[in-house]
Amino acid sequence: MVVAEVTSRIAKLNKQLAHYIPPRETWNPVDEALFLPTDLYQVPLEEAQEMQLKAIKCTFTHHYNNNGFYHKYCTTRNVSPEDIKTVDDLFKIPLVPDLTFKQYPKGRDFARWLESVFTGDLPKIVIKGSNPTFDDVIDAFSASGVVVTYSSGTSGRFTFIPRDQKTFLMSEYAGAKSVINMWEGYDPNTNGYLMFPNPKKTNVFVGKVSTVYFDLMKDVQVAIDRVLTTEVIQTAMSGGRSLKGLVTSYVQNRTQQKITDQITQWLGRNERKEERICLFGAPYILYHVMDKLQAAGTSFDFGEEGMVVTGGGWKIREDVRIPVRDFRKQVHDVLGIPETRCIDLYGMVEGNGFMVHCPEGHYLHTPYTYYKPFVLDDDLMPAKDGEWGRFAFLDALAGSYPGFILTGDKVRMLEHCPVCARPGPVLEPEVYRATGEEVRGCAEELRRVLAQDLGGNEGDSV
Amino acid sequence: MLMTMTGLTLTRLIVSHPTTFMKYRTMRPDEQRYVRPPRQYELPEYHSDMKYSTSKEPYLRPTRWCDPREPEVIAMANELGAYELADRDFAEAAFWFVKENIDFEMCPFDGVGATLRRGTGTCYHNISLFIALCRAAGIKGRYKLFAINYDRASRGIEEEKKRRGIEEPSGIDVVWDGLYNSLGYLMSEAEAEVYLDSTWVVAHPVLTPQLQAATGIPITQLGEDSIGLFFDVVPGTIQRSESIPLGLASGMRLLFTVMPGSPERVSVSQMNAGVYGHHVIEQAGGREAYDQRARERFQFFPRTVDPEDRTALVFED
Repeated sequence: MVVAEVTSRIAKLNKQLAHYIPPRETWNPVDEALFLPTDLYQVPLEEAQEMQLKAIKCTFTHHYNNNGFYHKYCTTRNVSPEDIKTVDDLFKIPLVPDLTFKQYPKGRDFARWLESVFTGDLPKIVIKGSNPTFDDVIDAFSASGVVVTYSSGTSGRFTFIPRDQKTFLMSEYAGAKSVINMWEGYDPNTNGYLMFPNPKKTNVFVGKVSTVYFDLMKDVQVAIDRVLTTEVIQTAMSGGRSLKGLVTSYVQNRTQQKITDQITQWLGRNERKEERICLFGAPYILYHVMDKLQAAGTSFDFGEEGMVVTGGGWKIREDVRIPVRDFRKQVHDVLGIPETRCIDLYGMVEGNGFMVHCPEGHYLHTPYTYYKPFVLDDDLMPAKDGEWGRFAFLDALAGSYPGFILTGDKVRMLEHCPVCARPGPVLEPEVYRATGEEVRGCAEELRRVLAQDLGGNEGDSV
Repeated sequence: MLMTMTGLTLTRLIVSHPTTFMKYRTMRPDEQRYVRPPRQYELPEYHSDMKYSTSKEPYLRPTRWCDPREPEVIAMANELGAYELADRDFAEAAFWFVKENIDFEMCPFDGVGATLRRGTGTCYHNISLFIALCRAAGIKGRYKLFAINYDRASRGIEEEKKRRGIEEPSGIDVVWDGLYNSLGYLMSEAEAEVYLDSTWVVAHPVLTPQLQAATGIPITQLGEDSIGLFFDVVPGTIQRSESIPLGLASGMRLLFTVMPGSPERVSVSQMNAGVYGHHVIEQAGGREAYDQRARERFQFFPRTVDPEDRTALVFED
């Protein structure tokens, strides 16, 4: 049952994001699965399963018919859209391991590789230079409306994902709706602080995914307001213990200090003016702010006017993770924001489904009308309910690439949340990397990239 | 370049880890030694009236360490059905011949005739033999070269044994590991591609079914890529070539001269893995049964998306 307040909240959301929503008469099962439900997490299971099946089958058929490499793969696995009739058949859909999107060549071949990954026909894209860089190619795709986002593991090898405008906008809307569904009292008259890179200045996923944040808030300040390229990210992720690594570490500390001071000042200004606030982004940034405030004996009291939404992983420094529970308590103690208004978001560059903490129990709820999550055991067969295993998903929103992914994350999934009454499946609050997989996590990426000080010539705040 | 880099890398290893180097340079008295298994097939006799391709076209002509006109190769190609079977059928026959009969051994580079006489070889020996047989039969063949994340490949056996609860070490050589990782992009792995029905078809005839069973992976067939299944390729390193790269043989020779123990340890490791893999197949109820379960369990991942020329991209110099 959807309460009136949620309906009002989502009405505000849809008004803010009207340009993300296509005309009703053009909707297919995927659009319906995303736009129809008021509360993505309160749809009765049977109804949701029907939506999910239609949406995923629609997308699977699209990729089967329009993506050469995926079609070949399905043929090898002897699976076609005709085989997908019931919810149980969804397990037959061939999964693409996330590493597939890390196996790319350089130069012009990189552009051709993106074209081969892309489902359907690309618009005309002009690429200059006989040996274009990754950024040259990404910029050329962007100019034609195809958003190529990327994320990086500790090896510095990127994961590149091309999204056409429809997939990108749906993805952004999905992320926004997922959060707002869990944000009681959301009001667009809120000041936002983005603890991720400026999405207008980078295509790194941790930045680009925040595009919609600017349409949800009244005003947004950005922690990392500078151009971030693949080169910068690569250097940061593979800094190491060399002299460069030491310098990186030193600059990282200095940069972190600047951001901490800015956020502290921003908090002070908003508290004085009794403004609503929302801090969205990497938890380690806020952790450092709160740590410093605690050391100085300072605190704020935003109460119900405050909201914290974190994402990207829980490493605060090399090999140190902060427990999620401790972080929430710190948000309450230092910022005065109740733990019910401190939620985490779990997503990844390969997906457009965002799992969000419920305020009551902080389990990660999955958007099950258009996104089917599952967990595979060591034998890569579906794990039993409650068992830890490798996370995989079928993502109906991924229209421009086959978003049926086997990830490198280790999770535990439960049929229902043990705390709140929402009917859908949930993941344990903390997610780990499977053994042998390189470390990933947007926040980790960001933590390393903060060391890249380009001298401030661009007039940036960092 | 390969020779130079191998030499520099070896020198660096020797200088930075002299004790380790001296410890592993040769086989110790207590170590298990490699024993070459007997050849698993009879060598057919060569006759001068046997058919073979004399084309000078690229991908059909003799290349470095891959001469399709060696008498042993011609004889074997004819034995397998060259010029009698359709191209694809012949390629299948050649593929399975190499895959099932040529055991893995780390040995210096030599010709495909020598490989046939010996019945063992490295991945390059096997791939060259397969390509040579195809070229002898008038089917174009080439090398697909790439650098891999060696860690993941070498851990494959360890992980499979761990999964099955087996404790004994696989015997991967420490120095070889270090050398491989240090060389990084220059140390290449390979597989073959043969031209069938107007398309280049991938083939990895290197690992015997027993060796694949030792790591729990499906028994690869003609047309199935090792990249993603067994090898984790370093992005941007895939190259196609008519011939084995210049310097690879010299680099290998240098290795055998400076540290003969390391290649032998790899051979021992693979020899033991083969024995273990044979046991795995038997336990599964035969090769087909093993392969079916491995395919269900493992899933066949498309780890590479080959860039193709389509029409939307416009390149300007």
